Amino acid sequence: MTTRALEGLRVVEMTEAWAGPVGASLLGDMGADVVKVESYPRSSMTRPVRPREATMPGDGPPYERDALHHQGNRNKRNVCLDVRTEGGAEVLRRLVAGADLFIEGYSSGTIARLGFGWEAVHALNPRTCMISLAGWGVEGLYAGKVTLGAGLDATSGHMAVRGYPDGPMEDVRSNFHSDATGAATTVCAAITALEQRERTGEGCFTDFSQWEGLVWQFPGLLAEWTMNGRLPARLGNRDPHVVPHGVYRAAGDDEWVAIAAEDDAQWTALAGALGHGGWAEEPHPWSTLPGRLREREAIDRAITAATGGRAAFELADDLQAAGVICAPVISSSQVLMSPQLQARRWSHTIEHRWTGPAMVGGFLWQVEQDPLTWDRPTALVGEHNGEILAELGYGAAEIAGLLRAGAIAEGYPEPGEAPAGPGLPRRGGHS
Amino acid sequence: MQPLAGLRVVEVGGTLAAGVATKRYSDFGASVVKVEPPAGGEIRRLPPFPDDRPGLDTGAMHMAFDTGKRSLALDLGTPSGREVLDRLLAAADLLIAHQPVPELRALLDRIDPESGPCTVVITAHGMDGPYAERLENDLTIFGWSTRAHRHSVQGREPLRYAPHAGMIQAANTAGMLGLVSVWGRRQDGLRRDVEVAGVEALMGNVDSSFFLWAVNGAVQPRSTGLYRGIYPMGAYPCKDGHVLFSAARHPFFTNLCRVIGYPEAAFDPRFTDPAQRADHFEEFRAMLEPWLAVRTKYDIFHEMQEAGVMCAPVLDASEAMADPQSVARRSYVTVAQPGPGDEPLEVTIPGAPYRMNGLHSDAWQARPAPRLGEHTVELLDELGYSRDEQIALFRAGVTG
Repeated sequence: MTTRALEGLRVVEMTEAWAGPVGASLLGDMGADVVKVESYPRSSMTRPVRPREATMPGDGPPYERDALHHQGNRNKRNVCLDVRTEGGAEVLRRLVAGADLFIEGYSSGTIARLGFGWEAVHALNPRTCMISLAGWGVEGLYAGKVTLGAGLDATSGHMAVRGYPDGPMEDVRSNFHSDATGAATTVCAAITALEQRERTGEGCFTDFSQWEGLVWQFPGLLAEWTMNGRLPARLGNRDPHVVPHGVYRAAGDDEWVAIAAEDDAQWTALAGALGHGGWAEEPHPWSTLPGRLREREAIDRAITAATGGRAAFELADDLQAAGVICAPVISSSQVLMSPQLQARRWSHTIEHRWTGPAMVGGFLWQVEQDPLTWDRPTALVGEHNGEILAELGYGAAEIAGLLRAGAIAEGYPEPGEAPAGPGLPRRGGHS
Repeated sequence: MQPLAGLRVVEVGGTLAAGVATKRYSDFGASVVKVEPPAGGEIRRLPPFPDDRPGLDTGAMHMAFDTGKRSLALDLGTPSGREVLDRLLAAADLLIAHQPVPELRALLDRIDPESGPCTVVITAHGMDGPYAERLENDLTIFGWSTRAHRHSVQGREPLRYAPHAGMIQAANTAGMLGLVSVWGRRQDGLRRDVEVAGVEALMGNVDSSFFLWAVNGAVQPRSTGLYRGIYPMGAYPCKDGHVLFSAARHPFFTNLCRVIGYPEAAFDPRFTDPAQRADHFEEFRAMLEPWLAVRTKYDIFHEMQEAGVMCAPVLDASEAMADPQSVARRSYVTVAQPGPGDEPLEVTIPGAPYRMNGLHSDAWQARPAPRLGEHTVELLDELGYSRDEQIALFRAGVTG
């Protein structure tokens, strides 16, 4: 048994939706002690009090069975607070004072109004590092503005290049790529801040605009404009300099394969594997890169004719065996058909109190010396209130008093039922 | 002092993904040595190029992602090249590598298990299993990730996102793990070998639909245009383009109905009852779109946000650069890049991915990206090679 890379690190996470929660789970995967601060009486957007499409089968309250919540909250402990009460705020103060890292994801300005802006956090413990994940950043002109990942995608220039070259913008689906990138970037920001603390002895504040984290990834879109005065085009699957480079129809109603040949050798392999070795023999016009660029449409049609009758997985196996870049384009129901993911035992089954055994996706990486485990399935609302408050120095009577007063909670009222304690309406401010 | 000052990183492969991963370190003060094939690796050959004139030192991806690194042009296909690499690795804290899997295996075999650097390798499918040695690219790992399937209109071909989005996300995952590995070793002394499989890194993160299927058996439907089940979600036309709404649920929907002058719609079962909602989408649209049609995307953005509605303008790359928030935060920076001629090339690149110690601190700095082999002599000097030895290596084409 080895230790985990981040063992001993104490993290307090107060975020909703994706980037923050998943980023904190990644820290938990690597051994950090992550305490999620759940909001009360308003439940977070991934903890709906009424069942919805994403509600997993099982008994118990819907907010404990939401798939979107489970996806982003493994390997954490959970404390549920109304931070607008003095009792709840004091619990958070003690948590933050003992933390190496405090991650919050409210809209710009919200956390300061709650009494946990950077100055307040720094005063509680000068060694605590704080990361704010406001969508468009904390400083600047967009204080109070709220967004999810889809809004960041829209304002980054990314949405403008997604979709079919000939399709209307209304067909371009909202996506949450910025949350995937934001989760990994949150971890980078966390360790970079802690590295700075190693060197200075002092905690620091990180203003992580998820928008900036997203545009960081797309310098190519920017450069089309700044270098060449062109707006980047919607390319679909095309690469202007690689032919073929596309997704082609395979046998079946809605089955597809992705194929690319980036150089002459890969093209020769593809032509041979499709039974048309002559396409790559000089002086065939398709045997050269410029020749293929000139005849993209004809080549795409020829490949479609050669692939349309073949099953996607089988075709990919054959083309790969010949040294061709090729993959089936799979839906979520086909993931487990991958012998690779099976061989790597990627997915696994966890036990959760209200959902029973559930199959879940695996980790983003593997470490030879430090195997990953899903130690803690998604914690229940306030599941660790008692344990965590005891660690913070609260006695049993105090904890019971806080619960009675609604400063801490172990669940949400049924729809229509009044919350415990003096619950105040809260403004939605997640990002 | 920058936060990662003193961290010694070696990058091997010369690919986009390797370059993206190590930019996480160089801009924050780490020493990053890019070990590149003497002919120049993938990242230097990727477009766009200024005036569409290709060149190894002027590609946009190279100039954006290789900032602040040193370049060592070295042929790792020769024993002499590998000896140089061994010396470099002996003094490194971290190796980031992206190569074909057989080459990665040989590379990791050279790492001293006790005193060598932590390693993070970037692959498509991992280092073992039946697909380990498959040839994939950004498009095909996207195909495996479930994202492309969902990112499409029913009946048409599935689409990737922007070029390289999948590989860049795999690289981000690797970048994060490099930092964690170095941190962990300082705490517990354990040297870790981490492998990132691009397919797993995409499939296991947000924006993958596998999780929903695994727990609920739900296959997310492919798009058929604007979403009718709950709304408004997605891009709606306005006077000068489109605005994006993520405003289907209370309180956003209630607020939105008030703003567009139909406050009662928020309580009308035609628009709120899940059983009826989809049938009345066109009626809702007929209330919303006239209001949008006479307003600009920024006017709508501000007015909707003021009322508590999640709404954003859909911007292209030039508009994103000119966005008041990105200007106020100086989200883009200009680097004076050594150009092909005497004049430096002024290059605009995205700035810091996160701001430590305030917007104007020097925790993050973008220094020019190196010319191919710019630091070969400097680095071989540091590694203790005599000038005669360096000439021998150069003459044989091992270095460049």
